[in-house]
Amino acid sequence: MSAITTTSAAATKSRAPLDRRSTPLTLGMLAFLVYFLLPLFWLFIASTKTTGDLFASFGLWFADDFSLLSNIERTLTYDDGVFVRWLLNTLLYAVTAAGGGAMLAALGGYGFAKYRFAGNRPLFMLVLGAIMVPTTALAIPTYLLFSRVGLVNTPWAIILPSLVSPFGLYLMRIYAESAVPDSLIEAARIDGAGEFRIFFQVALRMLMPGFVTVLLFTLVATWNNYFLPLIMLNNPSLYPITVGLARWQGQAAASGGASGDLVPLVVTGSLLSIVPLIIAFLLLQRYWQSGLLTGGVKQ
Amino acid sequence: MTPTATQAPPAGTMGGRLRQHPHTSRHAFTGYLFVAPFMIVFVAMLLVPLGYAAYLSLFREQLIGGTVFVGLDNYVRALSDQQLLSGIFRVARFFLIQVPLMLTLALCFALALDSGMLRLTRVVRLGIFIPYAVPSVVAALMWGYLYGPDFGPFAQLAEEIGTAVPSFLGSNLMLFSLANVVFWEFTGYNMIILYAALRAVPSELYEAAAVDGAGAWRTAWSVKIPSIRPALLLTLIFSVIGSFQLFNEPNLLQQLAPNVIDNAYTPNLYAYNLAFVSQELNYAAAVSFILGLVILVASYAFMYIATRRSRS
Amino acid sequence: MAACGGDDDGETSESETESISQADIDEAMQTPTEITFWTWVPDIEKEVALFEEAYPEISVNVVNAGQGADHYAKLRTALEAGEGAPDVAQIEFQMIPTFSITENLLDLRPYGAEELADQFVDWTWAQVSGQNGEVWAIPQDTGPMGMLYREDIFEEHDIEVPETWDDFAEAARELNEADPDVFITNVAPNQGAWFSAMLWQAGANPFAGSEGERFSVDLNSEQAQQVASYWGDLVSEGVVSTDADFTDQWYQAFNQDKYATWLTAAWGPVFLASAAESTSGNWRAAPLPQWEEGEQISANWGGSTSAVMSSAQNPIVAAEFAKFLNADTESAMTMATEQFLFPPLTSVLSDPEFAEQELEFYGGQRVNEVFAEISNTVTNEFQWSPFQDQVYADFTDTVGKAFADQTDPVAALDEWQSRLTSYAENQGFTVESP
Repeated sequence: MSAITTTSAAATKSRAPLDRRSTPLTLGMLAFLVYFLLPLFWLFIASTKTTGDLFASFGLWFADDFSLLSNIERTLTYDDGVFVRWLLNTLLYAVTAAGGGAMLAALGGYGFAKYRFAGNRPLFMLVLGAIMVPTTALAIPTYLLFSRVGLVNTPWAIILPSLVSPFGLYLMRIYAESAVPDSLIEAARIDGAGEFRIFFQVALRMLMPGFVTVLLFTLVATWNNYFLPLIMLNNPSLYPITVGLARWQGQAAASGGASGDLVPLVVTGSLLSIVPLIIAFLLLQRYWQSGLLTGGVKQ
Repeated sequence: MTPTATQAPPAGTMGGRLRQHPHTSRHAFTGYLFVAPFMIVFVAMLLVPLGYAAYLSLFREQLIGGTVFVGLDNYVRALSDQQLLSGIFRVARFFLIQVPLMLTLALCFALALDSGMLRLTRVVRLGIFIPYAVPSVVAALMWGYLYGPDFGPFAQLAEEIGTAVPSFLGSNLMLFSLANVVFWEFTGYNMIILYAALRAVPSELYEAAAVDGAGAWRTAWSVKIPSIRPALLLTLIFSVIGSFQLFNEPNLLQQLAPNVIDNAYTPNLYAYNLAFVSQELNYAAAVSFILGLVILVASYAFMYIATRRSRS
Repeated sequence: MAACGGDDDGETSESETESISQADIDEAMQTPTEITFWTWVPDIEKEVALFEEAYPEISVNVVNAGQGADHYAKLRTALEAGEGAPDVAQIEFQMIPTFSITENLLDLRPYGAEELADQFVDWTWAQVSGQNGEVWAIPQDTGPMGMLYREDIFEEHDIEVPETWDDFAEAARELNEADPDVFITNVAPNQGAWFSAMLWQAGANPFAGSEGERFSVDLNSEQAQQVASYWGDLVSEGVVSTDADFTDQWYQAFNQDKYATWLTAAWGPVFLASAAESTSGNWRAAPLPQWEEGEQISANWGGSTSAVMSSAQNPIVAAEFAKFLNADTESAMTMATEQFLFPPLTSVLSDPEFAEQELEFYGGQRVNEVFAEISNTVTNEFQWSPFQDQVYADFTDTVGKAFADQTDPVAALDEWQSRLTSYAENQGFTVESP
């Protein structure tokens, strides 16, 4: 029995005998939905405006000029297309960190779940305890250490620290425990398969929903990371989108209209920066929702 | 955690300590090989910097006089540092304002989604979750505009009907305004975790409750919520950590309200400014450690309370 | 520095103050070298290109690592880490002592910087000079303070352009009474640099006497109290607004005719012209109001220098670059007329191409001429603290906060002083306060 069938069976189990659907409840939830989508709606509207309209026209509806396309064009071409550069950087950092981090977590989680060795439990608790370390406590010493080995101001300065996801390890351990039956491992052993072959050819496939979940959450964490790159990078051509946008925002504020009217670029850039993640979540929702299903419930 | 033990995957999937591992010690070495990559990166990226920070926190580097070993002086100073203490109290207040509401609503949303009484479930679920995919930089920026006292849409609407909105970015409301941004970002995330946990509760339990004649509310209260207690605890712990480490949102809103959000507004902001503006790297390390300790104690306290409750 | 280098080939080893020979300079400038320059001046690549044209072997890597406080935070961490720091960096005047006390700046005397002294306005050269005669940087642009005002608003309410601070306060009350939506000016409670300029003009010199291990601080002097209570009174009467500056809110206020003046530096006029386009033609420039009638005293706010880091791999090339950028006629002229930075060079200040520029936004007024005259009235003595970013950060939390909350700014001066005192003590300074 694979994890996917287990979990999707759970997800589709039907509890409603007949139509118990409630209109008041639906309306209430839709009201909340309006709250959660309102800022994004504003962002979209704002992306269609010129600077003048941004401050002069009503914020939640279109102004007479519809400048979305010209705003996007300016955003993508400003300063020799530095925004595209930031977008690609972000993609590189996030995908590498997420892929690597999910793989480390899958290997480790599987190891912790399926093997007994001295120090298994204390090591695992140590990793979990590390979730509580404040980011600043790490960022500054990491910066100093990285600068000694020449890693500051390189992509590694962002990728390496992002590879560690204690929550990912936790999730993968739980997931491996429930999704990979011991009997299957034993059977593979009897067939003479090596331990790592078992992992890559048998177990990993069953771990996929958990793997994708960790992948996505690490992706989001790296994509949205602001503090680490803020400290680690000096060179604007290495910035990820978050730092780049905050930088534009600061520049827009400090220079008024002087350096080419950056306000619409900040707004449009913000809109463009969230689109890829939303698409990723939509496309992969089957996986991450079932991945969380197992991880969320057990301790 | 008995309820989950009856769940579909084969027996023997529960807590490591109860289970008979099928492997003999000849596999122990392989176990190390599996966890080694993670642990190596973990040690290099977490423990080493942490140890280095601990080391740094025992020194004081001065503009005049260079670096001297000062033992625990930095910690002693931190404990009587009014700016740090008020920052810690502020994030504690932030926690109290924000987290109960966020988790209660996240739980209600999850229950509503799970109840089968909702139309448009998929739209609602994704719509509420989407803010989680928005970087906090962008979230702070958007809400910064929305809060704007002259040109923000709330202010514009209020002006239309002849009143004025309260000053969202003023010193009285700032903490609530920040709480709102964080609420907006993370309610959906918590909802999804809780919802996933609810979906995994075996349906036999509900059926048993239904046989007993329990209504939807009663089932939710006495069956569903108790059985997802571990997931609730998880979201609570993450919220403790997130609240006490608050940095991005106040750092970005500081541009809009520099006299409301001062450099010690949250402990993390304080540590950052100590390190990068005040050139007190060593003291910043000590402050971070104390913050970590506060988080540890708070998280542990919640875990303790929760596990005691579940036993009684 | 080569001071430690025992050259084997018989050349004399140079002492700290001995200058580098022209031959060494020529050799260095003809050796292929790359240097890194951190600045936030937009489009400065233009001036850099002039330099690279003059010295084809040298290439300059221009990096914008942030602006103001962000820039300094990054610079400091890079210097501290000993890795990734630039060779030359833009440093504002007030930050020179902050970086020279940590021995991050290179004394440019051996590199022939002193020869340039005569070409610069006196007080600007005083600002880059160390206490033992060191030259820590070359001035790039300056910010002598004046007053930009809305001629139309003053005329509408029949108010004379104030020449003293008393007149200014009177005008503030009249104006706000006539139209409660209009404030004579805005005191930005986050702008320690602006407040410092106000102290400077009033003759307060709070950090005078600081040297080496000694930190002298006198923030509650009579003059400082005069400045704080003057603005505190206007704020609490509600005739002066207290919006944070350089925010959207603040920009919109200019466009919505909320402020009748902006007390600002010489870099302000062109800046305002692009930030408040809708008010074009209505503005004029004048000197700052004075504490004593008939006086003409001004102060400086902002303005930058180019400083060479002591860690620079090629100090000769870096120093030549800093000199060229700011003292080469074409480069300096381009900076003044295209980046609109207010020049510290006397030759540019008096050049008709610069001085006689007429700006549409100011009804065709020769604004540069007004500020060039003001530049001559800036006093020499004002001294910065050896940790000026801390001074500004604490200003915002104390005096600035008092303005924003309409509490007593004079009491807040004491708080500001006591915070800086304990900071200095923690940093190992001997603190002196009267």
